[in-house]
Amino acid sequence: MSRKTRRWIFHIFLCLGIIYLKIGGFSSVVALGASIICNKIPGLAPRQRTICQSRPDAIIVIGEGAQMGINECQFQFKNGRWNCSALGERTVFGKELKVGSKEAAFTYAIIAAGVAHAITAACTQGTLSGCGCDKEKQGFYNQEEGWKWGGCSADIRYGLSFSKVFLDAREIKQNARTLMNLHNNEVGRKILEKNMRLECKCHGVSGSCTTKTCWTTLPKFRQLGYILKERYNHAVHVEPVRASRNKRPAFLKVKKPYSYRKPMDTDLVYIEKSPNYCEADPVTGSMGTQGRICNKTAQHTNGCDLMCCGRGYNTHQYSRVWQCNCKFLWCCYVKCNTCSERTEVYTCK
Amino acid sequence: MKSLASLSLWRIIILILPLVSLGQTFEYGWPDNYDKPPQCVDIPVDLRLCQGVGYHQMLLPNLLEHESMAEVKQQAGSWVPLLHKNCDPGTQLLLCSLFAPVCMERPIYPCRRLCENVRDGCSPIMAAFGFPWPHILTCDKFPQDDMCINTPNDTSTSEPNGHPPVCPPCDNEMKMDVILDHMCASEFAIKTKIQEVKRENMDRKVTLQKKKRTIKMGTLKKKDLKKLTLYLKNGADCPCTQLDNTRNTYLIMGRKVDKQYLLTGIHKWDKSNREFKKTMKKLKSHKCPAYENVFK
Repeated sequence: MSRKTRRWIFHIFLCLGIIYLKIGGFSSVVALGASIICNKIPGLAPRQRTICQSRPDAIIVIGEGAQMGINECQFQFKNGRWNCSALGERTVFGKELKVGSKEAAFTYAIIAAGVAHAITAACTQGTLSGCGCDKEKQGFYNQEEGWKWGGCSADIRYGLSFSKVFLDAREIKQNARTLMNLHNNEVGRKILEKNMRLECKCHGVSGSCTTKTCWTTLPKFRQLGYILKERYNHAVHVEPVRASRNKRPAFLKVKKPYSYRKPMDTDLVYIEKSPNYCEADPVTGSMGTQGRICNKTAQHTNGCDLMCCGRGYNTHQYSRVWQCNCKFLWCCYVKCNTCSERTEVYTCK
Repeated sequence: MKSLASLSLWRIIILILPLVSLGQTFEYGWPDNYDKPPQCVDIPVDLRLCQGVGYHQMLLPNLLEHESMAEVKQQAGSWVPLLHKNCDPGTQLLLCSLFAPVCMERPIYPCRRLCENVRDGCSPIMAAFGFPWPHILTCDKFPQDDMCINTPNDTSTSEPNGHPPVCPPCDNEMKMDVILDHMCASEFAIKTKIQEVKRENMDRKVTLQKKKRTIKMGTLKKKDLKKLTLYLKNGADCPCTQLDNTRNTYLIMGRKVDKQYLLTGIHKWDKSNREFKKTMKKLKSHKCPAYENVFK
């Protein structure tokens, strides 16, 4: 209980600290405030505290990246019983899922990818000190394809290493759950790295491609969400393996009889089966589906039968109003009509 | 910005329960660039493509994903000569709705019909200069509903029946702005006399005299300059008084397309003409939009 309380306090303070840093803005107050906040957060890993103190601007970006990961998670799972929420106070890093399930695997991967994505984007925009564009590529000419490196190529290596240093620093203990978290963090970062893309601009006369400049850029974060969702659907059940003399787990292997295969480095892994998420349960962290909106006619996961776990649903009527038949009039404004209709919404009992 | 646009379009009156989210995917949204949100800026005086378009502020980045004003100016500069051709009344409106889009909560694209009218009217002239209709202006990607920019007085009924044949490189106005814009859009410019003009398939082949003076070298090499032969693209039968008169000295502009040199402009070297003399004087100090600097 004391450990849980300490962890809870850690998340609360980190969240408040980030809010305070945002309010304070970039000034000496930030440095002073950051130092006070970083020192007072109990349970913060030593390396995380060092990063927090030396890079208050990066902490803000880390918070935004984690939030982007959580938002994407909630989008990807919005139609499921589990919709990327958990019992307990909501913090910027999200509540740690108690069960080492597929859902926990997805959450850790998407947050690690979100932090790396946000750090890299901040470097590209120039809002983070100590990093910038990938200078190795600047000015070089691609002979075969006839374009030139230019613009601001995203320095993904910086974002990846920063995400790794900060997030993996939380996983201090040596147990199966820690190994699982470290693996899934790395999956998120690897998926991001593999999906970096080349963006080009044709800036010859009349926009022709006789003159062309290319740079590497981050993928859309939604694309990462879809890829990781696919990995989630094919997540691998693993179990820890202990070295002969040491009682602590050394690595993870696929949970199959007589199998010693390790998971691939882009496989999401889990060590426990998921709860059914039908009822609220503090032990598993399940929120339950009571009050969730469902689709009466759908047969998929957001259908009422499946979403409500057979408990039935309530019907609520309301009037939906929206702007319709919009026209752009010269120059320059938009004129719309107002439409409305009676409609129903269904929620689980 | 995007959520603000959503909020302005939707009003949900809920009697009992709040709705989590209704999925509304707009067909046209901001170019989803993670660098910076679009901002309203004044259309600069030296963005000549869009002076007098009908509004005074534009979005940056624009709808062609040009991120800096320097980039907008550089890319818009090569389109200014097309405006001088008056090939369609909607030319400036189409180009500026993309290069300097109006400041609205959500982006307003040009209508497909506007794009198709300009394309049909202007692509023959662009072809004469060796330019295909560019990919960035592909008309299929523009909307067909009412939430788009059309010519204010939509003259879709008044279709001009029959174009008089036109030689785009030959019908340029003797005006400083026009000549300088074409000079910037051309790769080279020389002062010389015409030796011979011959038909060759759909083009007219122009052989120049040996004696030449270079006004603008560009990518041209001395070796190529000696035996330079220019082509009037798709101009076998169009009227060009300059080519009919081989006694005069001309200012000749051109550019290289594949292995051919195309004629992009021809003016009589008329020292007695005040406008021409002014242009030649201005030419010494005139700076074309810089290309290299924008993308370094």
